[in-house]
Amino acid sequence: MCEANVYINRSGHEELLMEKVDRIIPGEDNNIFMENIFGERRVVQARIREMELVHHRVILEEISAEIKTPHAEIWLEPSTDHGHFHEGEEVKLKLYKGYNMSSDAELGLNNPGAYTVSEGVAKELDIHDHHGTAEINLGPELDGLIQVYVHEQGEQERYAKTVIEVGHHHHHGLTSIGLPLEITPCDYSHARMGESYEIQVLKEGNPLPNAEVRATYSSTNSRDYPHRLTTNEEGRAKIFLTARGNYLFSVQDGSIISTFTLMKSF
Amino acid sequence: MCKNMPPIELAIQFHGHICPGLLMGVRAAEFAQKYLGVGQDYDEELLAVVETDACAVDAIQAILSCTFGKGNLIFKDYGKHVYTIASREQNKAVRIAQKYGALNGSEFERYRQLAAKDHLTDDEISEKEQLIGVLFEKIMTASFEELFDWREIPFEMPERARIHGSIRCDGCGEGVMEARAVHTDKGIFCSPCATE
Repeated sequence: MCEANVYINRSGHEELLMEKVDRIIPGEDNNIFMENIFGERRVVQARIREMELVHHRVILEEISAEIKTPHAEIWLEPSTDHGHFHEGEEVKLKLYKGYNMSSDAELGLNNPGAYTVSEGVAKELDIHDHHGTAEINLGPELDGLIQVYVHEQGEQERYAKTVIEVGHHHHHGLTSIGLPLEITPCDYSHARMGESYEIQVLKEGNPLPNAEVRATYSSTNSRDYPHRLTTNEEGRAKIFLTARGNYLFSVQDGSIISTFTLMKSF
Repeated sequence: MCKNMPPIELAIQFHGHICPGLLMGVRAAEFAQKYLGVGQDYDEELLAVVETDACAVDAIQAILSCTFGKGNLIFKDYGKHVYTIASREQNKAVRIAQKYGALNGSEFERYRQLAAKDHLTDDEISEKEQLIGVLFEKIMTASFEELFDWREIPFEMPERARIHGSIRCDGCGEGVMEARAVHTDKGIFCSPCATE
């Protein structure tokens, strides 16, 4: 095979993507790089479905097709884009339901419960409506690292967790709070752009290997999660932070979807 | 405002977006700080001579605080990704030149194709975003040697920028810096009026 036409399968229909392709390089995050004999280049998010070598045809499958029926997840977003709260500042969190940090108000929340956990003791928090968005107000008297999680029961059980930093210099490690499925930062400190960040997935307190962790960020324009990571034997996965805004990690195991919002710091 | 905002945040806030050129400027500025043993300029202790007006220069302005307005950013329109950073206190200057081909490669090429387009489809927006992430990691994790050549050079620091008074243009009536006023037989003019 010298060169081939590359087609993409979209909802059962093949569309010609590029003619006379002489170079195809699969990359990370399901990216496929293509170059044709005319020097044109293209990168698509897809996987190779079939290669008909005799007919000079390569057929790709669109990955974004998967996101047409995504599993809804819940997540928490802090009311600051500053990475942390200052002492005396009112700490508010918004609770959203949707996918890839894109909320869908039509999905509705099914009587969720919010909790803050300190030294293994969970304290329930009030969730109230604020102009159509669920909000949790933790008040202005917090200090240090505070873990907050939300639990929504149902056929699909959903958890959302975040770590709030109030004040400065709280570079401590964090322990898990004991959710059935939990994403926890490996070594909490200020997470900044241009640095690697590692998380660990725990199932009933034990590391969950080979789990797919989706990662996105609040500034994304992509319809689907821009990153898909796989946990190692210790349940850990690492990402290089390249975008502005807070990051969201999401993992699913059976009927449980659990998210973790990383407040990125300056 | 929290202190100690990391250099990359300073650069992005100043430039407005993330792009490979800006990140190259971040690398160059951070290297210069380390090489010269300096931080951010306060009052013309540092001087930058830049041979391009591309994105990287915004990182140099934001991180080193060598700025157009302060007078410690000198622009030479050579179209070269070369930055000379000098320290008055250290009596030292380093010339940093982006290696030819440092930003070559299929992903960089594709990014440039997309960046040159006026309108992007939804797929292309996602693709460009993915590419920025990939290129970001490449630039920020590459060794400095992969991206730049550098050498210490003899450098004579100029005097600190002067503050000139203004005089009134006989044409438009607006003020013009004394040193930039054009004196003619018909009067004293600002440059635009003098050429009319």
